[in-house]
Amino acid sequence: MTLTAPETSTRSAPAAPGRSRSTLARRLVAYGYLSPTVLLIVVLMVVPIVMVIGYSFRDNVIVQENSVFAGFANYTKVLTDANFLAALKNTAVFISVSTMAHLVLGLAFAMMLNTPLLGGVTKAIFRIVYILPWLFTIAVIAVIWRLLLDPAGVVNHVLQTLGLIQEGVNWFSDPGMALWAVTFVNIWAGYPFFMISLLAALQGIPTDLYEAAAVDGTNWFQRFLHVTLPQLRPVIISMAVLDLIWTSHQFALIWMTTGGGPLNSTEMLSTFTYKQAFSEYEFATASAAAVIVLLLTMVLAFFYVRSQREQ
Amino acid sequence: MATVKTRRTLAKAGVVTGLVIGGLFAGLPILWLLSTSVKSNGEVFQNPPQLITEGFSLDAYRAILGNGAQLRFFLNSYIVAFAVTILTLLVAILAGYAFSRFTFPFQKTINAVIVSVQAVPPITLVIPYFGLIVALGLYDTYLGLILTHMVFTLPYAIIMITAYLNTLPRELDESVKVDGGSGWTALWRILVPTAVPGLIAVGVYTFMISWNEYLFALTLTRTDDMRTVPIGIQLLMGQHSYEWNQMMAMSILGSIPVLALFLFFQRRFIGGLTAGAVKA
Amino acid sequence: MMFRATRLRRLAGTVTVAAMAVSLVACGSDDATSDGTVTLEFAQWWGAELPAGEFDKIINDFTAQNPGIKVKLLSAPYASTKQQLLTGAASKTLPDVVGLDGAWVNDFAEQGAITDLSKLMTDANYDASQLASQVQVEGKTYMIPVVNFVYPLFVNKDLLTKAGVQNVPTTRTEFLDAAKKISASGGDVKGWVLPLDTAVPNGVQNDVMSWLWASGGSMVAAGKPNLTSAPVKSTVEYVKSLNDAGVIAPGSLTMKEQDKVEKFTNGQVGMMIDSLAHINLIKKNKPDLNFEVAALPAEDGYTGERGIPYASWGIGISDSTKHKAEAFKFVSYLMSQETNAKLSTIANGFPGNKNAEPDFDNSDPLFKTAFDIYQQGYPANEFVGLPKSEDLMRSFAEQLQLVLTGKSSVDDALAKSQENWSSVIG
Repeated sequence: MTLTAPETSTRSAPAAPGRSRSTLARRLVAYGYLSPTVLLIVVLMVVPIVMVIGYSFRDNVIVQENSVFAGFANYTKVLTDANFLAALKNTAVFISVSTMAHLVLGLAFAMMLNTPLLGGVTKAIFRIVYILPWLFTIAVIAVIWRLLLDPAGVVNHVLQTLGLIQEGVNWFSDPGMALWAVTFVNIWAGYPFFMISLLAALQGIPTDLYEAAAVDGTNWFQRFLHVTLPQLRPVIISMAVLDLIWTSHQFALIWMTTGGGPLNSTEMLSTFTYKQAFSEYEFATASAAAVIVLLLTMVLAFFYVRSQREQ
Repeated sequence: MATVKTRRTLAKAGVVTGLVIGGLFAGLPILWLLSTSVKSNGEVFQNPPQLITEGFSLDAYRAILGNGAQLRFFLNSYIVAFAVTILTLLVAILAGYAFSRFTFPFQKTINAVIVSVQAVPPITLVIPYFGLIVALGLYDTYLGLILTHMVFTLPYAIIMITAYLNTLPRELDESVKVDGGSGWTALWRILVPTAVPGLIAVGVYTFMISWNEYLFALTLTRTDDMRTVPIGIQLLMGQHSYEWNQMMAMSILGSIPVLALFLFFQRRFIGGLTAGAVKA
Repeated sequence: MMFRATRLRRLAGTVTVAAMAVSLVACGSDDATSDGTVTLEFAQWWGAELPAGEFDKIINDFTAQNPGIKVKLLSAPYASTKQQLLTGAASKTLPDVVGLDGAWVNDFAEQGAITDLSKLMTDANYDASQLASQVQVEGKTYMIPVVNFVYPLFVNKDLLTKAGVQNVPTTRTEFLDAAKKISASGGDVKGWVLPLDTAVPNGVQNDVMSWLWASGGSMVAAGKPNLTSAPVKSTVEYVKSLNDAGVIAPGSLTMKEQDKVEKFTNGQVGMMIDSLAHINLIKKNKPDLNFEVAALPAEDGYTGERGIPYASWGIGISDSTKHKAEAFKFVSYLMSQETNAKLSTIANGFPGNKNAEPDFDNSDPLFKTAFDIYQQGYPANEFVGLPKSEDLMRSFAEQLQLVLTGKSSVDDALAKSQENWSSVIG
């Protein structure tokens, strides 16, 4: 799936027939096919990015009529803000732990769902159960987990009944716990897409590879190591990079569970930017933060594009 | 023989145990959601918690389904998500065809831009977007939402469709051209019908993204005539109280279309992903 | 050649699709129709907080009296209303009439988003003396409070009795004592609840500063923050002592107002400071909850008038609307003696029109009690009219969180807050 980037020219050039006709016409036709995409991306992606970069070099933007050029002042302000640096660190923890867990859970679940040991119906039922978290919009996921992880909620009740904890844990409001709590919720909400993609990739591995390995007398773990993983490698790499990117975009989940608190322990780059804009009305600073976030994600995007190209 | 059989049984037991544990992890929160939707609001934090309470009732569902404004949110979500799905597929098929079958200058660059558009954080766009959408006259319209959602669904769709088209042998379109047809004919008569499994996978995925989108649906609409289900759910979190049962009921009603879509297409969905994934 | 012609036509086809997609500009909402009817857009969060259909009735009465004016309600929850107004102001798409919270006024006025109502009142020969209050920035009125909601102390009588507390506490010491007894009475029940979430930080206003105001204190002096003063310090120390005594419901640091009401309604906490507007809600969700309202406890020995925190449904008019006269007509309708009394009664609030009398006979008895408390004290909310007030609340909430988690001393936190606030006001 995502793993396969659009083919680049050299490989996909169709053989002879087109060549004899004017290449100009062919190019024009190609651009014609691309024009709706390009138009949409230019108008709704490139233009706003240019706008936000423009804001980031000015002061008093949006809320006041007369904005002035401010140079790099907004960038200096953001980069020296302790809250921003904390947000950077939290985001790094949040996205790396989430992605690792998505990968491990997604792979484990996909392999179990792909087992030849169980019948199709059983697997289909489990597949549906496993996909459930994906079906709910993030607003609902935030609400349901606020309900479950409330200090007086059902999770604490169950853990206390089982004797695992002595007294209720403040999952979202203990500064030492909140980041792990939101990460956990994000893991729960985000693994299914990873799982489905890996499941699809698993089903695409030719069975003769396993048969050959089985003939060689290998055990399950060796086959996993020497057949499954290498076959899945391209899928895993591009899914992981894509997941890092998507997880770093996560705003609604944080905003609706902890709002970045307590004590900034769950402040992310997205919530930091949002607060700058919509509660402090510092749209210029917010824009500078947004541009920095954009640059950081572009680094990830670079690896993503490269991982696509390599295939 | 016996040992092989025993080992198989053991392995099977292991897998079933694993599946059940994973299933509880995935399913229990949803079960609680379902249970909350049939409680009365006062029973939500009952101690000790109970799955089915005395106040069991379907009132929350009745309240949602009997309320014209809430139904309107569903209608809006359908309109937007279907339009996004169809338009995304159309535009992505054209782009995918260009990438898969043509050579042209800046191909790599355009490709890289499209791929990296996925990385642009929505929060970066929210600030300038509002003014932009207003300037285009698209504020509080379906079209504004549809085009915005497409920006986010399109790159992924293009990548997948290009990959899928690359798996289809070039002989397919060449045969049409030999018969005197154009590339356009080859695309719509041969390639698209052959690519249906891949298109379904892309379509289901696109529909889900659009159906669940929250940040822009909130920012770019202001009347209930245009708002979608996720915003409708948020509207039930008033300033003062959560209408827990109604929120949960609306969540469940809201996820039914997505679930149905997935159930209906799941084989083709995974099949479509597979074909993209294993392209040689 | 045939080939190329077809191809170019296809090319043209795709380009047209693209152009259509972008140029399909929906017709903007032009509010003056051909027959001369004016449609006013009114963005607010009030409709959702009134019994279903009640607000529509009030609006329909207005349109029946004024056939030339239609009112279109744009409803959103409180928190998103603010964001929508802010972005609407920036892009000149602000609705004609807007519901306002006093805490937003300074920012919107500064932004030039809402118009000077003093001028409209003069133009319309409006008698401003009937208004109970007006929110002004630099001497000009930008918001008129339509309905005011006071924030008394809510007490769960059953929990109090069970804990062996006879009387509703009236001083801080009595309150701490009652809270301790309730927390010790078993189960997960706690004495008090304090929502300090920083996403919507209004707990600082409603649940923390209210203690200060109730003892006649002030957080602002001569237009400058006054957070290091003794009254503010004693307030924060008192909140800390409640926390140290373990009488505050867990989860405080990310708790929102909704959770607070929820916990009180479900009998998980014995006492809370909350808006009178919630009486209906609590009774709807837990009809058998035995509770009453009382004045906020003051410092021991305090005998002066008690400030009682309040919040308003305020109203303002967009600066960019083409229909200022019609908009003001609508505002004066809502402020008229009869309508204002009706609206206040159904909302359990106090009227913004001095001459309007809420209908106590047909409303909750607690409403009457609250009105008496209100009349014995004075309305206090120092956040009204301050710039970036939500940001001030947030930075204070963060410092308070440090105190409650033992990461900062009261003095340090207040000094830091004073510094933060000074960069915004004064």
